[in-house]
Amino acid sequence: MRPFEYLRPDDVGAAVALVSADPAAQYLAGGTTQVDLMLKDGILDPERLVDITRLPLHGITADDRTLRVGALTTMEELAADPTVARRLPLVRTALLAGASAQLRNMATIGGNLLQRTRCRYFRDPTVPDCNKRRPSSGCAAITGAAARMHAILGAGETCIALHASDLCVPLVALDAVVEVRGVDGGRRIPLTEFYVLPGERPDVETVLRHGDLVTGVEVPLLPSTARSLYLKVRDRASYEFALVSVAAVLTVEDGTITEARVGLGGVGTVPWRARAAEAVLTGAAATTATYRWAAEAEIHDPFTVPGTAFKPELARRTMVRALETVVGDRP
Amino acid sequence: MTMTEPTRVVGAGLDRVDGPLKVAGAAPYPSDVRYPAMAHAALVRSTVAAGRIAAIDTAAAEALPGVLAVLTHHNAPRLRPGPENNLGPTPPPPLQDDRILHNGQYVAVVVAEQAYQATDAARSVTVTYERAEAALDIDDDRGELKIDPFGFDGGRGDLDAGLAAADVVHEATYTTAENTNNPLGLFATVAAWDGDRVTVHDSTQWTSNVRTTLAQVFGLPEEAVRVYAKYVGGGFGSGLRVWPHTVLAVLAARVVGRPVKLVLSRPEMFTGVGHRPNTVQRIRIGARRDGGLVALDHEAVQTVAMEDENPEPVAAVSANAYACPNVRYRDRQRRLHIPCPGSMRAPGEAQGNFGLESAIDELAHRLGMDPLELRLRNYAEVQPQYGLPWSSKALRECYTVGADRFGWSRRDPRIGAMRDGRWRVGYGMAGVSYLWWQMPCAARATISRDGTGYVRSAATDIGTGTYTVMWQLSAELLGLDPDRVRFDLGDSDMPPAPQAGGSGLTGALGNAVYDSCRNLLRRFLDRVADDPGSPLRRCTVDDVAVSGGRIHHRTDPRRGESYVAILERHRLDELTADGASSPPEAQQVGMAPAGAFAAKFVEVHVDSELGLIRIPRVLSVVDGGRILNEKLARSQIIGATVGGIGQALFEETRTDARTGRVANANLGDYLVPVQADIGDLDVVFVGGPDRLTPVGTKGVGEVGLPGTAAAIANAVHHATGVRIRSLPITLEQLIAPS
Repeated sequence: MRPFEYLRPDDVGAAVALVSADPAAQYLAGGTTQVDLMLKDGILDPERLVDITRLPLHGITADDRTLRVGALTTMEELAADPTVARRLPLVRTALLAGASAQLRNMATIGGNLLQRTRCRYFRDPTVPDCNKRRPSSGCAAITGAAARMHAILGAGETCIALHASDLCVPLVALDAVVEVRGVDGGRRIPLTEFYVLPGERPDVETVLRHGDLVTGVEVPLLPSTARSLYLKVRDRASYEFALVSVAAVLTVEDGTITEARVGLGGVGTVPWRARAAEAVLTGAAATTATYRWAAEAEIHDPFTVPGTAFKPELARRTMVRALETVVGDRP
Repeated sequence: MTMTEPTRVVGAGLDRVDGPLKVAGAAPYPSDVRYPAMAHAALVRSTVAAGRIAAIDTAAAEALPGVLAVLTHHNAPRLRPGPENNLGPTPPPPLQDDRILHNGQYVAVVVAEQAYQATDAARSVTVTYERAEAALDIDDDRGELKIDPFGFDGGRGDLDAGLAAADVVHEATYTTAENTNNPLGLFATVAAWDGDRVTVHDSTQWTSNVRTTLAQVFGLPEEAVRVYAKYVGGGFGSGLRVWPHTVLAVLAARVVGRPVKLVLSRPEMFTGVGHRPNTVQRIRIGARRDGGLVALDHEAVQTVAMEDENPEPVAAVSANAYACPNVRYRDRQRRLHIPCPGSMRAPGEAQGNFGLESAIDELAHRLGMDPLELRLRNYAEVQPQYGLPWSSKALRECYTVGADRFGWSRRDPRIGAMRDGRWRVGYGMAGVSYLWWQMPCAARATISRDGTGYVRSAATDIGTGTYTVMWQLSAELLGLDPDRVRFDLGDSDMPPAPQAGGSGLTGALGNAVYDSCRNLLRRFLDRVADDPGSPLRRCTVDDVAVSGGRIHHRTDPRRGESYVAILERHRLDELTADGASSPPEAQQVGMAPAGAFAAKFVEVHVDSELGLIRIPRVLSVVDGGRILNEKLARSQIIGATVGGIGQALFEETRTDARTGRVANANLGDYLVPVQADIGDLDVVFVGGPDRLTPVGTKGVGEVGLPGTAAAIANAVHHATGVRIRSLPITLEQLIAPS
């Protein structure tokens, strides 16, 4: 860690101006990613750190259609919110399946959206070849011994780094919208358009410009007829990122699926909206055969390395299990 | 005075004496030690596995604020090699030449005013390597394969004849992954020189060895080195050797002329303090139709560093586990460009037991026999190698008590027959015959005129409860209330003690404490031998007992007097006596010294579709000889069982093939069990005091770990029909083909 300038402004405009004006400035919120990357891993070296925890971006409000979450709301606060528990149970499950209670008390919702990949080849500065850290340097993960918790969708020879958020999986399925404030004012970005596939530039992860600040997230509430679930598969029972996770929302009428929303975690370079699966499910009979067909439609051209070769089939099975369970359960 | 009588404070046991301090965060671990004007060190590690340092540029680091020194092989003072002890040689001293023998090898140490400055400067050191081809895989022929590296290979009978006579021969290869000890406490060394004397606070399991080693490496008399390890945040074997970082902290302090603190980072804990070596084990086991074993052949290959040693017999677990007439066990070590392995809780046994106890289960399945019955059928009533009676052995009780408590009879022997909803249910078991180990140990006991006792030894308590059990034992042996006795350790100036390792410290130290307390009693009796007024006149230690701060006649407790009365009458402030214990010779005592025994019973639930495994319960039945403190002993078994579950399901240190870099060197990517992975862990102790020593303990620090992985794998087979011969058991292995 190099010495850096530390600032803690009180209003959003000032914070955005401070970071926008300085290419070597970064925001600091809960710090659960930022501090690791700076102090422990040594791959971030900001000259100016703008602490946003005093900005008025806390809190959760809801009307009967939408939940609005301030960017500085912590994971634990959002999980404890009664509207979330009642109307977005899959969001609550995803939050509580993530990190640990200690981390959830620090980590913010805005930070969760912008968390960096856990790829050990990205997070180790002694590894020279990482396209995400150093454009055009290569990808050590593809041949690495620890390539297991890596992406198979949206991945390619340039990068297989996983977006490991649990929360983003239901949010992307629910068509959440991100509120952003930049030097030119505010704008709203659908979460499904917020992230960028690695392609030739794995270092570019979102559509945000330097200095843009996430101020909040809007999440449409589920209709009372919808059944939903978040299912996470991992090696150990807690404190581990997903090998595969599924957020599923189904509306079933007389044995026919009338609406389907499916998000996938643990498999994508970005939080993955399973639109091919949704297309199969919508209008089809709610049977295991349909679920399997939907899963195969979604996971049909994965990019795997030896360590992730098990993931396509695990992802398909987890989708089937999630859909079976969500239909079997009461809404 | 023997220890077999019922006692007051020993047995059920007292709560941890160090508990309140630890809960309050007030126990000073080595990383908590501070000195005025203390500087901080950080390490630079090699990023290649083999070759040499072509150039090392320290100018940028030296120019950073706060940096006091950067030591490399160019400017580091020359060091002497450390001594060899019963765990092998000292790791080679660091920064002595330009050769690279493993990724993670220290190539520089930076000293700065603040820890963050040292860390930052360490990242600014630029090293250019001339790479050589690295041998990193256990099968890589470029690494020398050492035959019988420990001189331990052996056997009995005629293996080939046994195999030929067998009705059924099972043959298979079992592999275990590299595991990393990962004590929670990051290892730290604080070194402070005063002229040619140095005081060192170190995360070690063996203060006496650190002192001897540092004295030799730095060319000092032993008295010039004092090593403290009052509290150690776990070790699991990684604190048994004097690793290079300890030497570097002492060296750095000497160079800058100030006290220096060095705390390893978690990634450094994966390359600098040993690890459990991975193994490939080939086992052949033959039996008659009735289940009688006639042949057992166990060959184990493990990894070791290019220029360091790690004595860790693996195949030797098969030597005395069963009454089989024809046995051969052989160990092999592959030299690789890897950080040197070292002891990790139940070294050798953890891996070897998985092979042996899996093979026994497979054989039972082949024979159509209950695996418990097969084990009882081949029970080693006497030590099979020499035919000597065991000093104690209650393994049969472990099996029978365990089967009853677990409900083994409810096991449907058919594969996949037991279900719980989507989950397939399996029962599995394994036996453990742990190695006996004891080293010489010394202790000192004092009683003062205020009536308090003080007993001490240079031993360490790495969280196991040594402070507590030795405190209890001292109170018992001196006949004092526990609150009138203090037991202290963790200081190399105290009487020398062996390592907290090999499940041997409680036995060695307990018997040294016994000897010192008995000698102290003798000193009191000597004082009053000619006292005309003393009711203890002309008594020997065998005539008397102690209680309530008094020495009295064994047969008539009213005839006696207090320690205080004797000291006052003789105008003495205190009396002190030393004591010692040493390992008995098996032939002399006419018995085979027995380690602990155990049986493990496990229930697993497997979701074959998603590859999930849950372990709702594990029962451990343990013969640990005399149990000094049942609560702490139970904690040892529980902790070791969790370690066994880690070995079975999660733990695997992964190394990149090109660079030899440990690719998952943190606690997010290297998985250990979390609380939610642990179901009901039931522990029962059976058996009684071991006959070999007066105190009668056998050591329970490790016996709880081996057997766990085999029992789990055996249960997985029972549940699913999938035989796992490779640890850890991962989702990839469990997920059924579609």
